[in-house]
Amino acid sequence: MPGRPTAALAAPARFPPRLEDHEILLKFQDPASRNLAFNQLVRKYQRKVYWHVRKMVIDHADADDLTQDVFVKVWKHLENFRQDAQLFTWIYRIATNECLNFLGSKRRKFLLPLNDVGAELAAKMEADPAIAGDAIELKLQQAILRLPDKQRLVFNLRYYDEMPYEQMAEVTGTSVGALKASYHHAVKKVEDYVTRNTDE
Amino acid sequence: MKPSFKLDAHPRRPRPLLSEPPAGYFDQLPMQIMARLPQVEAHETAGGGRWLAFLPSALRTSLASVAVLGGFVASFYLSGTPPLVPATASTASLDAVPRTELVGYLLTSEARVENVDLAVLTAADPGLANGFLHASEDELNDALDAQPSDDTTSL
Repeated sequence: MPGRPTAALAAPARFPPRLEDHEILLKFQDPASRNLAFNQLVRKYQRKVYWHVRKMVIDHADADDLTQDVFVKVWKHLENFRQDAQLFTWIYRIATNECLNFLGSKRRKFLLPLNDVGAELAAKMEADPAIAGDAIELKLQQAILRLPDKQRLVFNLRYYDEMPYEQMAEVTGTSVGALKASYHHAVKKVEDYVTRNTDE
Repeated sequence: MKPSFKLDAHPRRPRPLLSEPPAGYFDQLPMQIMARLPQVEAHETAGGGRWLAFLPSALRTSLASVAVLGGFVASFYLSGTPPLVPATASTASLDAVPRTELVGYLLTSEARVENVDLAVLTAADPGLANGFLHASEDELNDALDAQPSDDTTSL
């Protein structure tokens, strides 16, 4: 059902009770409660944004910088948020653009081809102790990191976040048909890579 | 034959196997973010230009161009330096005549400009004389006094 947050995006119940999006936006309009409202917004979405970014840039320090940048941008533009999209979709869109710009600028800065950035991310992934010892999972991540940035983004949103295609279309600004095709091709590439690079 | 890998058959995780962020990271992150916000706000309000954010970028560019142009115009009019040649009716009408035509007229009409003409012109309209003689009234009078009374000057 469009408009309903997915299980992966829904905020878990924690104390103090979190404000609904419309309450946050209402309080944000009032200068007296603006900081409080924004603090609530950050606490509500920080984990989602962080992990969305972290899956794209892998490195924690980069994800930390980008997550902060995302929320600073949210603060700057929240007054202009039209509410024709859901708040978390809008935040995801900002986070997505930040990630793609970061990876693109990294490539331009060091004149790196696509695969070299993927290799760099894969090296960071392999160095992460959390994945050590799980050969299939490592191959799976290597395969995902070989995807082009935008296709990897589509894969992450669909496979890990289980986001509906309609919401993915809002986040990425791409048609639902194009997203389905992109995800289908991404899955094929990932399966082929893992099959070819896994010992029997 | 090597079995093909199927993503659907692989146990799905909520995210890749990456190490967790440092302990307490998500408790500190809101404070770090909030600490960055006042700087942004101060930067925006320092110039009193928050309203600019609501304008389209094309309009903002146009406004900037008009402001720069207006600055040049204002500095020109407020500089207080008078123009070299005052815009009187006589200089304006003289300026409208091409220089070659003026010279041609003086050469063919046997009209001569004598020292006395220059003396009268200088006394009558010092501003006009300043426009092409580039000498002060006193300098001109001194130069004229030094000339013989029957001397004439052709242009």
